[in-house]
Amino acid sequence: MSQQESIQLGGSDKSLWGQIKLTIARRTEGRGIALLAIILAIAAFTEPLVFTAYQITLGRIALIGLVALGLTAVILMGQLDLSVASTLAASGVVLASIPDLTLGIIAALATGLLVGAINAFGVAIIGINSFIWTLGMLFFLRGVALVLSDETPVKLTNADAGIAFGQPLIGPLTPRILIFVLVFILIQMFVSRVKMGREFYAVGGNPQAAKDAGIPVKRRIFTGFMISGFVSALAGVINTLERTAADPIAGSTVLLASFAAAIIGGNYLKGGRGSIVGTLIGAAALGVLQVTLTISGVQVPVQQIFIGLVLLIAVTTDPNNLRAVLSSIRSARSSRVKVQEPASEPNKSTAS
Amino acid sequence: MAQAPEEKPEKNSRGTIEWFAENGIFVFTAVLILAAAIFVNGFASLQNITDVFHRAAPIGIVAVGMTFVVISGNYLDLSVVAQVATAAVIMIAVSNEYGYFAAVLAAMLAAIIYAVVNGVAVGYFKANAVIVTLSTTYIGLGLLRLLSGGSIFFGPPDGALAQFGAGKLGPIPYSALVLVLMTVILAFVLNRTNFGFTVRSFGVNERATRLGGTNTGLVIIGAFLVTSLSAMIAGFVLAAFSNTAVSAMSTGYDFQALAAIIVGGTSVFGGKGSVLRTLLGVIFVSVLSNVLVLLNIGFGYQQMALGALIALAVAVDALARRAGKK
Amino acid sequence: MAAVVEAKNITKAFGGVKAVDDVSVSVEAGEIHAVVGENGAGKSTLMRILSGIEFPDSGQVLVDGKEIDNSAKASIDAGISLVHQELSLVPEMTVAENIYLGGFPTTAGFTNRKEMKKFAQETLDEIGVSVDIDERISRLSVALRQFVEIARAIARKPKVLILDEPTASLTPAETDYLLAMLGRLAKQGLAIIYISHRIPEVFTLCHNVTILRDGKLVYVSEIKKTTPQEVINQMVGRELKLDLESRRDAKPGDVVLSAVGIKAPGVNNVDLEVRAGEIVGLGGLVGAGRTEFIRAIIGADNKTAGNVYITVDGKKNQITSYMSAMRNGVAYVPEERRVDGLAMTMSVSDNVYLPNRKDLAGNGIINPGKAAKVAKELADRVGLRPPEIKREAGQYSGGNQQKIVIAKWLHQRPSFIVLDEPTRGVDVGAKAEIHRLVKELADLGTAVLVVSSDLPELLELSDVIHVVRDGKIMGTLDGAEADEKKVMGLAAGESLVK
Repeated sequence: MSQQESIQLGGSDKSLWGQIKLTIARRTEGRGIALLAIILAIAAFTEPLVFTAYQITLGRIALIGLVALGLTAVILMGQLDLSVASTLAASGVVLASIPDLTLGIIAALATGLLVGAINAFGVAIIGINSFIWTLGMLFFLRGVALVLSDETPVKLTNADAGIAFGQPLIGPLTPRILIFVLVFILIQMFVSRVKMGREFYAVGGNPQAAKDAGIPVKRRIFTGFMISGFVSALAGVINTLERTAADPIAGSTVLLASFAAAIIGGNYLKGGRGSIVGTLIGAAALGVLQVTLTISGVQVPVQQIFIGLVLLIAVTTDPNNLRAVLSSIRSARSSRVKVQEPASEPNKSTAS
Repeated sequence: MAQAPEEKPEKNSRGTIEWFAENGIFVFTAVLILAAAIFVNGFASLQNITDVFHRAAPIGIVAVGMTFVVISGNYLDLSVVAQVATAAVIMIAVSNEYGYFAAVLAAMLAAIIYAVVNGVAVGYFKANAVIVTLSTTYIGLGLLRLLSGGSIFFGPPDGALAQFGAGKLGPIPYSALVLVLMTVILAFVLNRTNFGFTVRSFGVNERATRLGGTNTGLVIIGAFLVTSLSAMIAGFVLAAFSNTAVSAMSTGYDFQALAAIIVGGTSVFGGKGSVLRTLLGVIFVSVLSNVLVLLNIGFGYQQMALGALIALAVAVDALARRAGKK
Repeated sequence: MAAVVEAKNITKAFGGVKAVDDVSVSVEAGEIHAVVGENGAGKSTLMRILSGIEFPDSGQVLVDGKEIDNSAKASIDAGISLVHQELSLVPEMTVAENIYLGGFPTTAGFTNRKEMKKFAQETLDEIGVSVDIDERISRLSVALRQFVEIARAIARKPKVLILDEPTASLTPAETDYLLAMLGRLAKQGLAIIYISHRIPEVFTLCHNVTILRDGKLVYVSEIKKTTPQEVINQMVGRELKLDLESRRDAKPGDVVLSAVGIKAPGVNNVDLEVRAGEIVGLGGLVGAGRTEFIRAIIGADNKTAGNVYITVDGKKNQITSYMSAMRNGVAYVPEERRVDGLAMTMSVSDNVYLPNRKDLAGNGIINPGKAAKVAKELADRVGLRPPEIKREAGQYSGGNQQKIVIAKWLHQRPSFIVLDEPTRGVDVGAKAEIHRLVKELADLGTAVLVVSSDLPELLELSDVIHVVRDGKIMGTLDGAEADEKKVMGLAAGESLVK
């Protein structure tokens, strides 16, 4: 078959540079890496302390990134989970309200799973848009946290355990950072190597095709939301332990920061595109940014403005959206190019 | 004779769920008010009614304005929280120094900036409205805290603003009258102007609206502008009522406004609903909150109730849509 | 030789109209069987029934002589594999993963990547396509995606492969490649059902051909015992009944629309002119690029090159966007009225109001009396039945809905109107009325462009017919001299025009 060679794609460039180019083109984390590089450069020049006191920086990244990791599982399927902030707060309150530490932790994590299940129920079974349903849950759970805590922070019974939790465990790394790394590894492996996790991309990328191929879409949605709920609850547990108290209105910046991390990292809100690694990179970028600003003495409101701006720019400059915007601009411009033609043209014939 | 099958018209079957979704709110509101008047101590007093109006007014003004964004199919505008507080702070802080006219101008400028940023991001860049307005909320609140230093501003006790805030027509405070006036005006804009028409049409079918000759970007900016101006007025009213302004005073406004809109029967998917319905939803939500307070039910339970209400209303709407499609 | 797959007496009706009427087809192992017919003849419905996505009202599907259940799973298990039009690929997953979608090989729950890649590579080698299996679908060309689709269908080791218009988006070289591949697979024992409009391909590749017309089976033959001409005749079938009285006496005026060098996705450098009072028809088969072309002209979609001019009252203006088109009196009646043409839950009067709102309102404030009056006039003019302007558009029949779509443009006398499949899903009565409306518009001096896959309609309405194929105008026929066979010939690839 002489034409066998005619259908080829440039995957034949086996040189190292060719492979590198391909890998770059295929990955979605480009913007995140670019932003991280810029921020790291700025930090290196202005506040090198960010690097020398790296445990603080890592701690912040872990704070922002933990919830973002769970959230990414949901975003990959094209859904949103806005309830993460309240899940965090409510689980923390649950933990603090139970005298026995182990029981409390289990109850708190179970709360997260329950929230995830309720979210999935509304989205997959009733068929409600995930934005609105999880928004309602966000509010509802905030109420739950306030009710359970009687509207004041609840002190952790076993305060010593909490204090111990805040101490570095391995080298300078605190349990928070270690848990973050563990969760990252687990979710990353799930999404890239476990069959169920890979199918998240299909559910988000082409739900109809996923269904036709026999993937149980509803079940996957349940899994995704439960992961998000669990991780948010885990974050709540960590917060409560470290502060030895649970604040029922905790988590307000978490909502913003975790979405920012996921979106900067290249996760596409409509689903099917992105990666856990990207979220990590996004969280790293935001964490370094925040610590740099804090060390520089920049006030909290200004930090808020920064992060808000980063999210705004990230969400408006999503490559897929931009492509559509740019093509319509290009089209309008190409139409105007030949306006200067003479008014009287010979009539062109349209014969075959 | 074989030919392409002809479509049959959709059956106009108003099932129970659909009727419930459409008209349930009227019934519930009436029942709620009646039950409250009869069973809840202190509800029917003049003082309490006035109080309900006072609290309902700023949220209601935001809600009727935000209805435009919801009807256009863009879910909601979370940045109203920042906008209300900004307007309140501007009103008191600026009027103390430069008078009311300057304050209004400054507040309008802020409102326009919000509307343009939100509208361009959502309308031209086609970004998700929830995330965009989430980010502008933070930027806005951060700016406000920065510029105001987080301090509380006080208006002069006898100033025109305070007098307006305390003024009443019978048991009805001026602020509630402002709400009614805004409802009337916005209902008119939504139903009787070309702009309102395109907003509604956009929410029903974006593609057909575009092909009918609409600049979609401008429509969305317009919807956000209505919301921003309403939030601004709500901020004025809030400032008048409390004669103070601080950046944290408008917490929760986004959810309460959304709850009112959804409970009133405006669909969160866009296209269906009205300003009058939102007003009804505001009444329901305000009365409910008031009842809960009178019954000494904690703030936490109130939040739960609101969250559950939103979830219920949206679920009913979704189920009604599905039933209607069969 | 026994048939591998057999469809026996399949009948399927939608809303009272038989899409497939007592059709039987049988295919043996190693046979490539073409199923051919006009748009709407029932081919796709039949294939969906064979692959279990659609249930027949009566009839059976048999594989190796045994009847199978009506479900997608049963069909797949029995060995029937349908190749979709690239819509069933997940864009951000790799080629290997797409080939194995839903059935990733696993070791203890973890995807066994090595195994997956190995099998994917083997499958691709088997069909002779060289693609980097780690590449994401979104980065592949349309042609390659089609090949991945085929690989996906083959991976299940089917007995029967069904392809529906597989060469629609392929270049001639890629088409040759595909045909060679299918030939090889057939020689290895695969039974192939090949649906296509493209007669040359059918005659190159297939052993037998079944022709459907209006849902019925009208002709079965071995390829070597028939001719392309005969196939086209059978596809079209109807005797040419050119009702000269129903044709307009057209007196075209000056050129109104002039499109030059239009290029867009699916449109390959097209020029077009339409004169005032003239009805130009665009014929062709589904996927030829007609809708893409007209949308590019009026600015509803972006084009990559070309210019469009509208001349009204002697003034020539360039159209650069949809808004500028509307400003110059362009009216567009889209193909999918439910999606692009109407707001289904809004009233007739509201729908009609939309493009006319600037004209009917004073200072942006709606004048309900005026709006209602105009709506009523337009409803009467198009013969909307019943003429209740407050009724929701979605509650009218298809024909009436289409009338509403046309009505909204009539208030401002358009200089140029484009109608895309104006009578699809419309009953006979409404169809005639819509034809009357279109002719009236032309008589008033409007330049009219009609896209239609309904050959009698095209022939009745058009003064000039351009036949489009693969994004190009293949031929132009004078309205009075055209007939269905000439149009179909140009559309399907045979140059029958002498």
